[in-house]
Amino acid sequence: MTDEELMLAVCEGDQSAYQTLVKRHLKPISHYAFRLLGNNKDTEDIAQETFLRLWINACRWQADKAKLSTWLHRITHNLCVDYLRKHSRVQTRAYLEEEEDNRGQALESYDGLQGKSTGGISENLDEDDKLRKLTAAMVELPESQRSALMLCHYQGFSNKEAAVIMNVSVKAIESTLARAKRSLRKKIAEVENSIDNTLWGEEIKTHQQELK
Amino acid sequence: MTLEEFGKIIESYGSSSERWPVDMREECENFIADNSEARELVNRQLELEMLMDQIAVPEFPGLEARVLDQQLPSRKLAPLDQFLEWLLPADKSGKQFWRPAMVACLPLIFGIIIGNFYNFGVGLQGESFEYWDDELYILSLNDYTENLF
Repeated sequence: MTDEELMLAVCEGDQSAYQTLVKRHLKPISHYAFRLLGNNKDTEDIAQETFLRLWINACRWQADKAKLSTWLHRITHNLCVDYLRKHSRVQTRAYLEEEEDNRGQALESYDGLQGKSTGGISENLDEDDKLRKLTAAMVELPESQRSALMLCHYQGFSNKEAAVIMNVSVKAIESTLARAKRSLRKKIAEVENSIDNTLWGEEIKTHQQELK
Repeated sequence: MTLEEFGKIIESYGSSSERWPVDMREECENFIADNSEARELVNRQLELEMLMDQIAVPEFPGLEARVLDQQLPSRKLAPLDQFLEWLLPADKSGKQFWRPAMVACLPLIFGIIIGNFYNFGVGLQGESFEYWDDELYILSLNDYTENLF
């Protein structure tokens, strides 16, 4: 069944259609919320609220205006923006801590594969630093830049769809994305420069050349 | 196309040509083929995107059950909500504009009807003239010419 058919059924109060829609759209919605909010608890609350709103406002959705995924992302986006405006300071810190934990776990499992890896420690350190810096830089991005980046890069929306979700013009999305990417690239360049400038930077370079 | 223009497209739409505006795609592809700096820009963008792809999102194991198990409110709207839904439908095309317009006219129609049945004492103050045509008749008997000069 298509989203449109399911939404018509939900509009008439069909709970099984609602369940099918939840199963179909929950993953992208929760991922988007997590990438904006950065912690599991709030992500789950926002995802739950999004689908509750789908149930309540199903009859208001117009298939000719926006795809269901766009409409749902718009609901999630608005909920997340409201949340972030209320809790901005706490949020950033929580996200960084959570990301640090995630990275730690990823590194532990990655370390297990280290022996089999063809790349050297220096490459991994470099890559890991970049990734850490990138994660931190993403959190520091203004909310609009982060949203635009998440929608277009991770959620796979076109710039036009992202503009609908964020309720801005396509031109605004274009410039927002450009600013966000410039800012991220700048942060990564800082890591590259700092590695080059350390005492062991030369050693890393030599090691990398040897590997090549 | 200049390198700066191409750079803006890359920053706004990403490294994948599928995302580039359809009307500029061919021009961009030709530009890359002829320009090594453009290729460098695409590679740098691709590098950033690959790095971004490495940032993973955790799983939410209990979330689906939580969303499915949540108490859904009744779909039957309260009478006032039903009226508001009818009055201001979600369809913003303006086809239903007559509904709020009609509701806005209701006090006027109500006033006309009430005014038709009840005079609320208007017209009873003057005891000497009961009808306006009588009053006009009396006025017509006056000679106003003396006041003109």
